[in-house]
Amino acid sequence: MVKYRVSIDIGGTFTDLVALNEESGEILNIKVPSTPREPAKAVIRTFREFLRKTSDAEVSVIIHATTIATNALLGQLNLELPKTALITTKGFRDIIEIGRQRRHELYNLFIQEPRTLIPRRLRFGVEERIGPKGEILTPLNKTQVKSLVQQLGRENIKTVAVALLFSYINPKHEREIGEMLKKSLPKIYVSLSSEIAPEYREYERTSTAVVNAVLTPIVSSYLNDLQRKIRRLGVKAPLCVMQSDGGIATKSIVSKKPVSMVESGPAAGVIASAFYGKLLGIGNILSFDMGGTTAKAGAIKEATPEVVSEYEVAGKVHSGRIVKGSGYPVRHPFIDLAECSAGGGTIAWVDEGKALQVGPISAGAEPGPACYGKGGKQPTVTDANVVLGRLNPRYVLGGEMKIYPELSEKAISKEICEKIRLELTEAAAGIIKIANSAMAKILRIVSVERGHDPRDFVLMCFGGAGPMHGCALAEELKITEIIVPNNPGLFSAYGLLAADFRNNLIKAVMKLMDEVNVKKIEAVFQRLELKGAKLLEKQHVPKVNMRFIRQMDLRYFGQSYELTIPTSKPLTKEVLKQAVESFHKKHMAIYGYAVKDELVELVNVKLVAVGLIEKPKLKEQPLHREKPPKEAITAKRKVFFEQNNDYNETPIYRREKLKIGNVINGPAVIEQYDATTVVYPDWMASVDRYGNIILSLRNRGN
Amino acid sequence: MPIDPITVEVIKGALTYATEEMGIALRNSAYSPNIKERMDFSCTIFDHKKRLAAQAEHIPVHLGSMQLAVQKGLEKFKGKIEDGDMILFNDPYISGTHLPDLTLICPIFYEGKIIAYSANKAHHSDVGGKAPGSMAGDATEIYQEGIIVPPVRFVKKNVIDKEIASILLSNIRTPEIRLGDLRAQMAANLLGKRRILELVDRYGIETLHKATEEIMDYSEKRMRIEIGKMPKGSYSAEDYLENTGTSNKKVKIKVTITVKKNQLLIDYTGTDEQVNGPVNAVLGVTLSGVYYVLRCLTDPSIPMNEGCYRPVKVHVPKSTLMNPTPPAPVAGGNVETSQRNVDVLLKAFAQILPEKVCAACQGTMNNIAVGGINPENGKPWTFYETIAGGFGGRKGIDGVDAVHSHMTNTMNTPIEAIEAIYPIRFLEYELRKDGGGPGKWRGGVGLERSWMLLAPSATLSVLAERTKIPPWGLYGGKPGAKGEYYVIKPNGKRVKLRSKCTIRMGKADIFLVRTPGGGGYGNPLERYPELVHRDVLDEMVSLEAAKKDYGLVINSARMEINWKSTKQLRLTKSKI
Repeated sequence: MVKYRVSIDIGGTFTDLVALNEESGEILNIKVPSTPREPAKAVIRTFREFLRKTSDAEVSVIIHATTIATNALLGQLNLELPKTALITTKGFRDIIEIGRQRRHELYNLFIQEPRTLIPRRLRFGVEERIGPKGEILTPLNKTQVKSLVQQLGRENIKTVAVALLFSYINPKHEREIGEMLKKSLPKIYVSLSSEIAPEYREYERTSTAVVNAVLTPIVSSYLNDLQRKIRRLGVKAPLCVMQSDGGIATKSIVSKKPVSMVESGPAAGVIASAFYGKLLGIGNILSFDMGGTTAKAGAIKEATPEVVSEYEVAGKVHSGRIVKGSGYPVRHPFIDLAECSAGGGTIAWVDEGKALQVGPISAGAEPGPACYGKGGKQPTVTDANVVLGRLNPRYVLGGEMKIYPELSEKAISKEICEKIRLELTEAAAGIIKIANSAMAKILRIVSVERGHDPRDFVLMCFGGAGPMHGCALAEELKITEIIVPNNPGLFSAYGLLAADFRNNLIKAVMKLMDEVNVKKIEAVFQRLELKGAKLLEKQHVPKVNMRFIRQMDLRYFGQSYELTIPTSKPLTKEVLKQAVESFHKKHMAIYGYAVKDELVELVNVKLVAVGLIEKPKLKEQPLHREKPPKEAITAKRKVFFEQNNDYNETPIYRREKLKIGNVINGPAVIEQYDATTVVYPDWMASVDRYGNIILSLRNRGN
Repeated sequence: MPIDPITVEVIKGALTYATEEMGIALRNSAYSPNIKERMDFSCTIFDHKKRLAAQAEHIPVHLGSMQLAVQKGLEKFKGKIEDGDMILFNDPYISGTHLPDLTLICPIFYEGKIIAYSANKAHHSDVGGKAPGSMAGDATEIYQEGIIVPPVRFVKKNVIDKEIASILLSNIRTPEIRLGDLRAQMAANLLGKRRILELVDRYGIETLHKATEEIMDYSEKRMRIEIGKMPKGSYSAEDYLENTGTSNKKVKIKVTITVKKNQLLIDYTGTDEQVNGPVNAVLGVTLSGVYYVLRCLTDPSIPMNEGCYRPVKVHVPKSTLMNPTPPAPVAGGNVETSQRNVDVLLKAFAQILPEKVCAACQGTMNNIAVGGINPENGKPWTFYETIAGGFGGRKGIDGVDAVHSHMTNTMNTPIEAIEAIYPIRFLEYELRKDGGGPGKWRGGVGLERSWMLLAPSATLSVLAERTKIPPWGLYGGKPGAKGEYYVIKPNGKRVKLRSKCTIRMGKADIFLVRTPGGGGYGNPLERYPELVHRDVLDEMVSLEAAKKDYGLVINSARMEINWKSTKQLRLTKSKI
């Protein structure tokens, strides 16, 4: 029997199964078209194919990334939302609809809010009130709750969110309501805000509980169904799901708290970058993933992916940033990502003011870029790369996809050159330049805007189109080293295969650091650790693999934003002091100032319970000489480089033929099955012992 | 040599991004919630000729005032500004907005010459004056509204002038916070300066100047194309402020818009004279309303710069409500008159672009300030907020319920944050039933918000509008509900408040606000019965109002539509 770890990623176009041979480190990829209306169908196809290809496979674990949560909230793919009710404090049932009272676009008289997940008639206020110190001002009116529970039964409600004021300090009333619901209506799903997101800010906490309530029936039935079908094929491995924070959790845990996996897919690329970074001994990485329709950037600082504590699910993205108020806020750790619509299929066009624009519309998979010859008439980023000689002018995907360069030329001439006076080459180079400046911006958002200097980072370029743009972006951000991993098109899958178990626990405290009782807070941490250990046990993580990361959310008293500060065990006065010190430092780094004599407030105590998994082994190979073998050069062609503002006769290498240790001086192009790496004139490419291409900037003459 | 369009495009992106980054730096390093959480500020870059080159999408009320501020604010310094200086001022008659907005301008030098400016404006929650928050509802002259700072070199050789700072801070409540916020404004300008110098390094000064010129021409061209699509002619409208804060007299704003080929003339002739209450709007505020409306009605993706102003000629007669002369008080001009200005402009544009305009939104910001001494710690406290209301109905869609509209977009403060700090307890925060103006497309409803005072006493100030003249509907749509403000005494007695007032509250007094709704769009009798039915089930519209306003008959026992009676009732009503 050969042991495999299997990841399944359902994308908009393809469903990918990537299996890692746990002994040899080899990987196997099976790709089938996605079946959006019934996602499990494509998954089963990939499994069948996998089992056919590997006669003696034993699957140890299945790790799954899915967009089902976002799709359901966006009202896509016929995913009907379950009938959901909300119970709040009397007088406050509209908090969920009022939100933060802002509109998410300033200059739009036709602005619309995201649709309300629970109609007003299914939002109920109950008589009760807890005060800001957790004191009970009005006891819970149980008679009212009792009759409400009966009404919910009659109305055939499937799932309920309960979110009362100040429940993060005192969850008593929420728990009582929860118990009454479960007792009378055992089949109903219940999401208590004090369990799902026990943090202050009533709107965000309520919204998180509501999103969780809506998703619970959808996600649990989807995952149950998927597991049943996979089992039927004889595969008995446990099913795990990638969460938004880059950790995995088993099906049963995610089913109860689906709010943890709303951004299940995009995190994988960043986790893969972190995994490679550890392997190669690189702590600071900017992860850059460019595919067919979008580009995504993330940051890893000191081997840890950067996370944010809130996200706007199903929201809109405007110039790289997610727009507050355009979706449903969810309080949970999310891998910090910036995104823009710049991918291979992104369309270039000329606006009314005669300016060249790139995006946001994409030609998608159908018809795709003009050069695919599938009827696309609009020029895309890929077409510009064809005209500039960067992409193979005859075929891509090892010959599976034919390329028609004359169609690229025609599209650019007609749509761009004829509208603004530009030569073909100028126009193509312009398209690339504009796309690059949009992509450089998202890299800046996750670095410069977060207080990091990009020059301290290595750029990890992946996705089908990433390695083609790496050198230009690195030059823009003054980065001097780039890694192009072995299989850029499949790289994200390593994120699924290498992710640890993660469970996030939180307890609101709201106390000045000067007034904190060390023993009490230590006890809080210990209670959270106990809870975390239980969760990990349930997922069969052995004790030796459990790790507990302690954190505190701190802020200056009176501020409204917190910073998360890691802290150590056990808690002492000294440890508290250090935490305050690190807080001042981090505040300085991000916000440019610190006030040492200002009071610091402890808002939340946080614990991440981590279950380490054995990391995939990558195949290491012996070193060859520096000079690439002759057969690695497959051709020469004219490739355009901005530096010379001209085409240069450039050698084209076949990546599969390159050996470990080979060094290539730019300009050069390295082609492989699913990606093309462009080496700019001042850059040098070398192949490391795992087969990654490392691009480094040579000392420039001047 | 002409420069290539690709470089122009890349520099265009870089300038806009520089202003966005300035905003992030300002927000992140600011101290007060007003700047940090409510994001009440604007960041800009100007070229060497003091023309607006880029402005981030921050707060609309600053849109038109920045260029005036930079041009007027630097007048007296001709040639006397040095590298490392920054100019500070808040005089509304120079800065173009009210006193709490402090403007800070940083000249950017390269090889001894000014090549550009970075500038920003931020709303500080106090600049002194007779009332906490510097927004007295009953000021009769500007001297009561706070300290007036003329343009001064606040920063010299990159260091804040301690003497000027001490004069300023001696006149302000909570001086520590104000200095922190000013440092944040300084940091934002320095970042803008760094980004511009990076562009110079990369492209050279010639290219940067030429590109900026072309970017302005580009915006101008696109604005002219948009204006060219409007039907030519002259269109007038008027609307009123219901009182001035110092008298009960209503005040008229009148505007006439003339669409010419590729050009707009906007004329405020006919507007009432300036008043001795705080509702005068300085010219910058008036212009901001004009540019806000134009951005909404054209294409907001057109980059904001001086080119956008070129095709628009605005005439505002001097010494009127919309272009007052000193010493008229102006604090409320920013927050209330600015909203009415938009109402008037949209009413006029409704005749030009009937399908692109919404009915009137709530038309006020509902400014509430309350403060006193906190009995728990003996320290003074002030809480200031603005409250959302209904958005007007639009062709094809209802108005948004409970949202900030037009010139403001600031967030609310979580109840769980307010109660933890201030001696008040909230009783209700809900949508206001029957608040939206009836229409084929209903106006958005306003809010009901109430809280009880836990301290022995407090001072409450209200600065609001639309309690007498409701937000108008369009094309047969009915007006939205008027605003209401009450104090309810412990014995149950209700005291109705005026829309601009300052009163004392006692322990256990309850303050209740009902904010105005948006006007309806189209005849309510044509509203789809299913939508009215949905609103009734959701308790947004009462059974009685469904019948009276929409002609919809609902069987109250089964809560189903009685189609036959509805048809009859609608027929009868439509004949009236």
